[in-house]
Amino acid sequence: MLQDRAREFSGEPSWTVDFTLNGEPKTLALDPSWTLYEVLREQLDLIGTKGACLEGECGSCTVLVDGVSMNACLIMGPQVEGKDVLTVEGLTKQGALSAVQQAFVDCGAVQCGYCTPGLVVAAEALINDLQHPTGEEIRRGLEGNICRCTGYMKIQQAVERACELRAAAK
Amino acid sequence: MQFHQPKSLEDALRLKRELGTDAYFLAGGTDLVVLRNRGRVKGQHWIDLSRVSELDYLEERDGTLQIGATCPHARLEGTRFTALAEAAASVGGPQIRHRGTVGGNVGNASPAGDVSTALLAFDADIELRSATATRRMKLAEFFLAPGKTAIAPDEIITAIFVPTDVRSAWFKLGKREATAISVVAAACGVNAAGKVHIALASVAPKPLRVTAAEEMLAQKGLTPETARAAGDIVRETIKPITDHRASADYRLDTAGSMVTRLLTQLSLN
Repeated sequence: MLQDRAREFSGEPSWTVDFTLNGEPKTLALDPSWTLYEVLREQLDLIGTKGACLEGECGSCTVLVDGVSMNACLIMGPQVEGKDVLTVEGLTKQGALSAVQQAFVDCGAVQCGYCTPGLVVAAEALINDLQHPTGEEIRRGLEGNICRCTGYMKIQQAVERACELRAAAK
Repeated sequence: MQFHQPKSLEDALRLKRELGTDAYFLAGGTDLVVLRNRGRVKGQHWIDLSRVSELDYLEERDGTLQIGATCPHARLEGTRFTALAEAAASVGGPQIRHRGTVGGNVGNASPAGDVSTALLAFDADIELRSATATRRMKLAEFFLAPGKTAIAPDEIITAIFVPTDVRSAWFKLGKREATAISVVAAACGVNAAGKVHIALASVAPKPLRVTAAEEMLAQKGLTPETARAAGDIVRETIKPITDHRASADYRLDTAGSMVTRLLTQLSLN
Protein backbone atom coordinates (compact mmCIF):
# COMPACT_ATOMS: atom_id res chain seq x y z
CA MET A 1 0.00 0.00 0.00
CA LEU A 2 2.86 2.33 0.81
CA GLN A 3 4.47 1.50 -2.53
CA ASP A 4 1.15 2.17 -4.23
CA ARG A 5 1.00 5.60 -2.64
CA ALA A 6 4.50 6.42 -3.93
CA ARG A 7 3.52 5.27 -7.42
CA GLU A 8 0.37 7.33 -7.30
CA PHE A 9 2.52 10.44 -6.92
CA SER A 10 5.26 9.13 -9.14
CA GLY A 11 6.29 11.38 -11.99
CA GLU A 12 9.46 12.67 -13.53
CA PRO A 13 12.53 13.10 -11.32
CA SER A 14 12.26 16.75 -12.24
CA TRP A 15 13.87 18.23 -9.12
CA THR A 16 17.53 18.19 -8.14
CA VAL A 17 18.52 18.25 -4.50
CA ASP A 18 22.00 18.70 -3.04
CA PHE A 19 22.27 17.34 0.47
CA THR A 20 24.35 15.14 2.74
CA LEU A 21 23.09 11.63 3.34
CA ASN A 22 24.71 9.54 6.07
CA GLY A 23 27.87 11.60 5.82
CA GLU A 24 28.16 11.52 2.02
CA PRO A 25 27.47 14.60 -0.13
CA LYS A 26 24.81 13.71 -2.66
CA THR A 27 23.19 15.25 -5.72
CA LEU A 28 19.89 13.53 -6.37
CA ALA A 29 17.22 13.91 -9.03
CA LEU A 30 13.84 13.21 -7.47
CA ASP A 31 10.13 13.63 -7.97
CA PRO A 32 9.25 16.72 -5.86
CA SER A 33 5.89 15.22 -4.96
CA TRP A 34 7.60 12.40 -3.08
CA THR A 35 8.26 12.54 0.64
CA LEU A 36 11.73 11.95 2.06
CA TYR A 37 10.37 8.65 3.39
CA GLU A 38 9.45 7.54 -0.13
CA VAL A 39 12.73 8.78 -1.60
CA LEU A 40 14.73 6.86 1.02
CA ARG A 41 12.86 3.59 0.64
CA GLU A 42 11.64 3.50 -2.96
CA GLN A 43 14.43 5.36 -4.70
CA LEU A 44 17.55 4.82 -2.58
CA ASP A 45 16.69 1.38 -1.17
CA LEU A 46 17.41 2.57 2.37
CA ILE A 47 14.70 0.41 3.87
CA GLY A 48 15.88 0.73 7.47
CA THR A 49 13.54 3.71 7.77
CA LYS A 50 10.09 2.27 8.42
CA GLY A 51 6.64 3.74 7.97
CA ALA A 52 3.40 2.92 9.73
CA CYS A 53 1.02 5.79 10.37
CA LEU A 54 2.37 8.29 7.81
CA GLU A 55 0.97 11.11 9.93
CA GLY A 56 3.74 11.84 12.40
CA GLU A 57 2.34 9.86 15.33
CA CYS A 58 4.32 6.62 15.39
CA GLY A 59 7.91 7.78 14.84
CA SER A 60 8.97 4.67 12.93
CA CYS A 61 10.25 6.87 10.07
CA THR A 62 12.39 9.05 12.36
CA VAL A 63 15.53 10.47 10.76
CA LEU A 64 17.87 13.24 11.87
CA VAL A 65 17.95 16.43 9.82
CA ASP A 66 20.88 18.61 10.87
CA GLY A 67 21.01 16.49 14.03
CA VAL A 68 17.34 17.06 14.93
CA SER A 69 14.78 14.23 14.98
CA MET A 70 11.98 14.50 12.41
CA ASN A 71 9.41 12.29 10.71
CA ALA A 72 10.63 11.48 7.18
CA CYS A 73 7.02 10.83 6.15
CA LEU A 74 6.17 14.53 6.63
CA ILE A 75 9.18 16.03 4.83
CA MET A 76 8.93 16.58 1.08
CA GLY A 77 12.04 15.56 -0.86
CA PRO A 78 13.01 19.08 -1.98
CA GLN A 79 12.93 20.28 1.65
CA VAL A 80 16.23 18.55 2.46
CA GLU A 81 18.14 20.90 0.14
CA GLY A 82 21.42 21.77 1.86
CA LYS A 83 20.58 19.63 4.90
CA ASP A 84 22.48 16.85 6.63
CA VAL A 85 20.25 13.76 6.74
CA LEU A 86 21.07 10.76 8.90
CA THR A 87 19.12 7.50 8.70
CA VAL A 88 19.53 4.37 10.81
CA GLU A 89 21.90 3.01 8.15
CA GLY A 90 24.27 5.90 8.88
CA LEU A 91 24.67 4.95 12.53
CA THR A 92 26.72 1.84 11.81
CA LYS A 93 30.36 2.73 11.10
CA GLN A 94 32.43 0.07 9.23
CA GLY A 95 30.05 -2.63 10.38
CA ALA A 96 30.31 -1.63 14.05
CA LEU A 97 27.04 -0.92 15.86
CA SER A 98 26.63 2.47 17.53
CA ALA A 99 26.38 2.61 21.33
CA VAL A 100 22.59 2.95 21.06
CA GLN A 101 22.29 0.00 18.68
CA GLN A 102 24.51 -2.19 20.87
CA ALA A 103 22.56 -1.21 23.97
CA PHE A 104 19.25 -2.14 22.31
CA VAL A 105 20.72 -5.60 21.60
CA ASP A 106 22.21 -5.94 25.09
CA CYS A 107 19.00 -4.99 26.88
CA GLY A 108 16.54 -6.93 24.73
CA ALA A 109 14.84 -3.70 23.75
CA VAL A 110 13.80 -5.23 20.43
CA GLN A 111 10.84 -7.54 20.02
CA CYS A 112 9.12 -7.45 16.62
CA GLY A 113 11.66 -4.78 15.62
CA TYR A 114 9.44 -2.62 13.44
CA CYS A 115 9.71 0.48 15.65
CA THR A 116 13.39 -0.13 16.41
CA PRO A 117 15.10 1.92 13.66
CA GLY A 118 12.99 4.98 14.53
CA LEU A 119 13.57 4.53 18.24
CA VAL A 120 17.31 4.03 17.77
CA VAL A 121 17.58 7.22 15.71
CA ALA A 122 15.42 9.19 18.18
CA ALA A 123 17.50 7.85 21.10
CA GLU A 124 20.69 8.86 19.28
CA ALA A 125 19.45 12.47 19.06
CA LEU A 126 18.29 12.34 22.68
CA ILE A 127 21.67 11.33 24.12
CA ASN A 128 23.51 13.71 21.81
CA ASP A 129 21.54 16.53 23.45
CA LEU A 130 21.51 15.19 27.01
CA GLN A 131 24.53 13.07 27.86
CA HIS A 132 22.90 11.61 30.98
CA PRO A 133 19.13 11.93 30.68
CA THR A 134 16.91 11.03 33.64
CA GLY A 135 14.23 8.37 33.25
CA GLU A 136 11.65 11.12 32.81
CA GLU A 137 13.78 12.83 30.16
CA ILE A 138 14.16 9.55 28.28
CA ARG A 139 10.42 8.88 28.35
CA ARG A 140 9.67 12.41 27.23
CA GLY A 141 12.42 12.36 24.60
CA LEU A 142 10.98 9.20 23.08
CA GLU A 143 7.30 10.13 23.36
CA GLY A 144 7.12 10.56 19.59
CA ASN A 145 7.93 6.88 19.02
CA ILE A 146 5.36 4.16 19.56
CA CYS A 147 6.29 0.55 20.40
CA ARG A 148 3.48 -1.97 20.73
CA CYS A 149 5.59 -4.89 22.05
CA THR A 150 8.07 -4.00 24.73
CA GLY A 151 6.15 -1.86 27.19
CA TYR A 152 9.05 0.62 26.87
CA MET A 153 10.92 -0.37 30.05
CA LYS A 154 13.66 -2.22 28.18
CA ILE A 155 13.92 0.65 25.74
CA GLN A 156 14.47 3.08 28.60
CA GLN A 157 17.06 0.71 30.05
CA ALA A 158 18.76 0.52 26.66
CA VAL A 159 19.08 4.30 26.47
CA GLU A 160 20.59 4.34 29.97
CA ARG A 161 22.96 1.56 28.90
CA ALA A 162 23.91 3.50 25.73
CA CYS A 163 24.96 6.44 27.88
CA GLU A 164 27.19 4.11 29.91
CA LEU A 165 28.70 2.60 26.75
CA ARG A 166 29.45 6.04 25.40
CA ALA A 167 31.01 7.19 28.67
CA ALA A 168 33.14 4.03 28.82
CA ALA A 169 34.36 4.53 25.27
CA LYS A 170 35.69 8.00 26.06
CA MET B 1 1.25 18.61 -7.92
CA GLN B 2 3.61 21.43 -8.82
CA PHE B 3 6.33 22.20 -6.29
CA HIS B 4 7.77 25.69 -5.84
CA GLN B 5 10.64 26.67 -3.60
CA PRO B 6 11.05 30.46 -3.40
CA LYS B 7 14.13 31.83 -1.65
CA SER B 8 12.55 35.06 -0.41
CA LEU B 9 9.25 36.24 1.03
CA GLU B 10 8.86 38.56 -1.96
CA ASP B 11 9.09 35.61 -4.38
CA ALA B 12 6.72 33.53 -2.24
CA LEU B 13 4.11 36.31 -2.29
CA ARG B 14 4.48 36.83 -6.05
CA LEU B 15 3.87 33.11 -6.58
CA LYS B 16 0.84 33.18 -4.29
CA ARG B 17 -0.64 36.13 -6.18
CA GLU B 18 -0.16 34.32 -9.50
CA LEU B 19 -1.42 30.93 -8.36
CA GLY B 20 -4.19 32.06 -5.96
CA THR B 21 -6.39 29.61 -4.06
CA ASP B 22 -4.92 26.62 -5.87
CA ALA B 23 -1.61 27.18 -4.08
CA TYR B 24 -0.83 26.13 -0.51
CA PHE B 25 2.12 27.22 1.56
CA LEU B 26 4.14 24.29 2.90
CA ALA B 27 6.25 24.67 6.04
CA GLY B 28 6.63 21.78 8.51
CA GLY B 29 4.16 19.58 6.65
CA THR B 30 2.58 18.27 9.85
CA ASP B 31 -0.89 19.01 8.45
CA LEU B 32 -0.48 19.38 4.68
CA VAL B 33 1.70 16.30 4.12
CA VAL B 34 -0.50 14.21 6.43
CA LEU B 35 -3.46 14.94 4.12
CA ARG B 36 -1.30 14.17 1.10
CA ASN B 37 -0.26 10.83 2.62
CA ARG B 38 -3.95 10.00 3.08
CA GLY B 39 -4.47 10.67 -0.62
CA ARG B 40 -6.20 14.03 -0.13
CA VAL B 41 -3.79 16.47 -1.72
CA LYS B 42 -4.72 20.09 -1.12
CA GLY B 43 -4.09 22.37 -4.10
CA GLN B 44 -2.32 21.97 -7.41
CA HIS B 45 0.65 24.03 -6.28
CA TRP B 46 2.74 23.85 -3.14
CA ILE B 47 4.90 26.80 -2.22
CA ASP B 48 7.59 25.51 0.11
CA LEU B 49 8.77 28.03 2.71
CA SER B 50 11.75 26.05 3.97
CA ARG B 51 14.19 28.40 2.19
CA VAL B 52 12.41 31.64 3.12
CA SER B 53 14.66 32.38 6.09
CA GLU B 54 12.97 35.75 6.81
CA LEU B 55 10.03 33.92 8.40
CA ASP B 56 12.07 31.67 10.68
CA TYR B 57 12.82 33.67 13.81
CA LEU B 58 11.84 34.29 17.43
CA GLU B 59 12.84 37.57 19.03
CA GLU B 60 11.85 39.98 21.75
CA ARG B 61 11.73 43.62 20.75
CA ASP B 62 10.08 46.69 22.30
CA GLY B 63 7.91 44.83 24.79
CA THR B 64 6.73 42.34 22.19
CA LEU B 65 7.69 38.77 21.46
CA GLN B 66 7.75 38.41 17.69
CA ILE B 67 7.28 34.90 16.39
CA GLY B 68 8.10 34.37 12.73
CA ALA B 69 5.52 32.25 10.90
CA THR B 70 7.87 29.31 10.36
CA CYS B 71 9.28 29.29 13.90
CA PRO B 72 8.94 25.66 15.05
CA HIS B 73 7.08 24.78 18.25
CA ALA B 74 10.26 23.38 19.79
CA ARG B 75 11.77 26.87 19.96
CA LEU B 76 8.97 28.09 22.24
CA GLU B 77 9.51 25.28 24.75
CA GLY B 78 11.30 26.49 27.85
CA THR B 79 10.71 30.20 27.18
CA ARG B 80 9.39 32.39 30.01
CA PHE B 81 5.98 32.74 28.30
CA THR B 82 4.45 30.00 30.43
CA ALA B 83 1.22 29.15 28.60
CA LEU B 84 2.92 29.37 25.23
CA ALA B 85 5.92 27.31 26.31
CA GLU B 86 3.76 24.60 27.88
CA ALA B 87 1.30 24.54 24.98
CA ALA B 88 4.19 24.16 22.53
CA ALA B 89 5.67 21.38 24.66
CA SER B 90 2.34 19.54 24.60
CA VAL B 91 2.13 19.36 20.79
CA GLY B 92 2.78 15.87 19.37
CA GLY B 93 6.16 14.28 20.04
CA PRO B 94 9.61 15.86 19.64
CA GLN B 95 9.70 15.08 15.92
CA ILE B 96 6.47 17.03 15.39
CA ARG B 97 7.61 19.92 17.60
CA HIS B 98 10.83 20.20 15.61
CA ARG B 99 8.87 20.40 12.40
CA GLY B 100 5.45 21.97 13.05
CA THR B 101 5.39 25.77 12.93
CA VAL B 102 3.48 28.47 14.80
CA GLY B 103 2.22 29.98 11.54
CA GLY B 104 0.99 26.56 10.46
CA ASN B 105 -0.78 25.93 13.75
CA VAL B 106 -2.57 29.27 13.54
CA GLY B 107 -3.27 29.07 9.81
CA ASN B 108 -4.71 25.58 10.09
CA ALA B 109 -7.29 26.99 12.56
CA SER B 110 -7.94 23.70 14.32
CA PRO B 111 -10.46 24.00 17.19
CA ALA B 112 -7.93 21.93 19.18
CA GLY B 113 -4.88 24.03 18.30
CA ASP B 114 -2.76 24.13 21.46
CA VAL B 115 -0.44 26.96 20.49
CA SER B 116 -3.29 28.92 18.89
CA THR B 117 -5.26 28.73 22.14
CA ALA B 118 -2.29 29.77 24.26
CA LEU B 119 -1.68 32.77 21.99
CA LEU B 120 -5.28 33.93 22.61
CA ALA B 121 -4.54 34.15 26.34
CA PHE B 122 -1.86 36.73 25.49
CA ASP B 123 -4.32 38.64 23.26
CA ALA B 124 -1.77 38.20 20.47
CA ASP B 125 -1.88 39.93 17.08
CA ILE B 126 -1.26 38.31 13.72
CA GLU B 127 0.46 39.96 10.76
CA LEU B 128 -0.64 39.11 7.22
CA ARG B 129 1.15 40.22 4.09
CA SER B 130 0.33 40.20 0.39
CA ALA B 131 2.51 41.31 -2.52
CA THR B 132 1.05 44.80 -2.10
CA ALA B 133 0.06 45.30 1.54
CA THR B 134 0.67 44.36 5.17
CA ARG B 135 -2.09 44.25 7.78
CA ARG B 136 -2.32 43.32 11.42
CA MET B 137 -5.31 42.04 13.34
CA LYS B 138 -6.29 40.43 16.62
CA LEU B 139 -5.70 36.69 16.50
CA ALA B 140 -9.12 36.19 18.13
CA GLU B 141 -10.69 37.77 15.03
CA PHE B 142 -8.55 35.74 12.66
CA PHE B 143 -10.15 32.40 13.54
CA LEU B 144 -13.56 31.99 11.88
CA ALA B 145 -14.45 28.27 11.81
CA PRO B 146 -12.67 24.89 11.64
CA GLY B 147 -9.92 25.39 9.06
CA LYS B 148 -11.32 28.83 8.14
CA THR B 149 -9.55 32.10 8.85
CA ALA B 150 -9.71 35.74 7.77
CA ILE B 151 -6.71 35.34 5.45
CA ALA B 152 -7.14 36.50 1.82
CA PRO B 153 -6.14 34.25 -1.12
CA ASP B 154 -3.05 36.35 -1.89
CA GLU B 155 -1.83 36.64 1.71
CA ILE B 156 0.65 34.83 3.90
CA ILE B 157 1.00 34.78 7.69
CA THR B 158 4.29 36.54 8.41
CA ALA B 159 4.38 36.85 12.21
CA ILE B 160 2.57 36.68 15.54
CA PHE B 161 3.03 39.50 18.06
CA VAL B 162 2.81 38.58 21.73
CA PRO B 163 2.82 41.21 24.52
CA THR B 164 5.57 40.44 27.04
CA ASP B 165 3.75 41.84 30.11
CA VAL B 166 1.37 38.89 30.41
CA ARG B 167 1.58 36.31 33.21
CA SER B 168 -0.02 33.12 31.97
CA ALA B 169 -0.98 29.56 32.84
CA TRP B 170 -1.90 26.50 30.77
CA PHE B 171 -3.67 23.22 31.33
CA LYS B 172 -4.26 20.51 28.74
CA LEU B 173 -6.37 17.45 29.30
CA GLY B 174 -5.82 14.65 26.79
CA LYS B 175 -6.66 10.97 26.69
CA ARG B 176 -3.05 10.24 27.63
CA GLU B 177 0.10 12.18 28.50
CA ALA B 178 1.98 12.02 25.20
CA THR B 179 1.07 12.95 21.61
CA ALA B 180 -2.59 13.53 22.37
CA ILE B 181 -5.12 15.92 20.90
CA SER B 182 -6.81 17.78 23.74
CA VAL B 183 -10.16 16.77 25.19
CA VAL B 184 -10.14 20.31 26.58
CA ALA B 185 -7.27 22.74 26.97
CA ALA B 186 -7.31 26.11 28.72
CA ALA B 187 -5.01 29.10 28.75
CA CYS B 188 -5.35 32.18 30.92
CA GLY B 189 -3.31 35.38 30.91
CA VAL B 190 -3.20 38.56 32.99
CA ASN B 191 -1.41 41.62 31.64
CA ALA B 192 0.38 44.33 33.63
CA ALA B 193 -2.81 46.42 33.75
CA GLY B 194 -4.69 43.47 35.30
CA LYS B 195 -6.72 42.64 32.19
CA VAL B 196 -7.52 38.94 31.99
CA HIS B 197 -7.85 36.81 28.86
CA ILE B 198 -9.35 33.33 28.90
CA ALA B 199 -9.03 30.89 26.01
CA LEU B 200 -10.23 27.32 25.49
CA ALA B 201 -9.45 24.60 22.95
CA SER B 202 -11.75 21.78 21.83
CA VAL B 203 -15.00 23.24 23.17
CA ALA B 204 -16.13 25.21 20.09
CA PRO B 205 -15.60 25.24 16.30
CA LYS B 206 -12.52 27.41 16.83
CA PRO B 207 -10.10 28.30 19.62
CA LEU B 208 -12.44 30.28 21.85
CA ARG B 209 -12.12 33.40 24.00
CA VAL B 210 -14.61 33.50 26.87
CA THR B 211 -15.34 37.23 26.81
CA ALA B 212 -18.30 37.09 29.24
CA ALA B 213 -15.98 35.83 31.99
CA GLU B 214 -13.27 38.31 30.98
CA GLU B 215 -15.74 41.21 31.30
CA MET B 216 -16.87 40.10 34.75
CA LEU B 217 -13.21 39.98 35.85
CA ALA B 218 -12.56 43.42 34.35
CA GLN B 219 -15.29 44.79 36.66
CA LYS B 220 -14.57 42.84 39.82
CA GLY B 221 -10.84 42.14 39.58
CA LEU B 222 -9.10 38.78 39.81
CA THR B 223 -9.36 37.05 43.20
CA PRO B 224 -9.83 33.38 44.17
CA GLU B 225 -13.56 34.16 44.53
CA THR B 226 -13.96 35.74 41.09
CA ALA B 227 -11.84 32.90 39.65
CA ARG B 228 -14.55 30.52 40.82
CA ALA B 229 -17.28 32.75 39.36
CA ALA B 230 -15.38 32.87 36.05
CA GLY B 231 -15.44 29.08 35.92
CA ASP B 232 -19.21 29.17 36.43
CA ILE B 233 -19.58 31.66 33.57
CA VAL B 234 -17.51 29.32 31.37
CA ARG B 235 -19.94 26.49 32.15
CA GLU B 236 -22.90 28.74 31.29
CA THR B 237 -21.40 30.13 28.10
CA ILE B 238 -19.65 27.41 26.12
CA LYS B 239 -21.50 24.84 24.02
CA PRO B 240 -19.11 21.94 23.43
CA ILE B 241 -20.09 18.88 21.44
CA THR B 242 -19.95 15.17 22.21
CA ASP B 243 -17.46 13.27 20.07
CA HIS B 244 -15.23 10.19 20.27
CA ARG B 245 -12.92 11.90 22.77
CA ALA B 246 -15.44 13.09 25.35
CA SER B 247 -19.05 13.99 26.03
CA ALA B 248 -20.31 17.55 25.94
CA ASP B 249 -21.17 17.45 29.67
CA TYR B 250 -17.70 16.30 30.60
CA ARG B 251 -16.09 19.03 28.51
CA LEU B 252 -18.38 21.68 29.97
CA ASP B 253 -17.63 20.80 33.56
CA THR B 254 -13.92 20.23 33.01
CA ALA B 255 -13.46 23.49 31.12
CA GLY B 256 -15.04 25.43 33.99
CA SER B 257 -12.84 23.72 36.58
CA MET B 258 -9.72 24.26 34.51
CA VAL B 259 -10.38 27.98 34.12
CA THR B 260 -11.05 28.33 37.86
CA ARG B 261 -7.84 26.48 38.65
CA LEU B 262 -5.68 28.55 36.29
CA LEU B 263 -7.18 31.87 37.37
CA THR B 264 -6.79 30.93 41.04
CA GLN B 265 -3.11 30.24 40.41
CA LEU B 266 -2.70 33.58 38.67
CA SER B 267 -4.62 35.45 41.39
CA LEU B 268 -2.33 34.11 44.10
CA ASN B 269 1.01 34.78 42.36
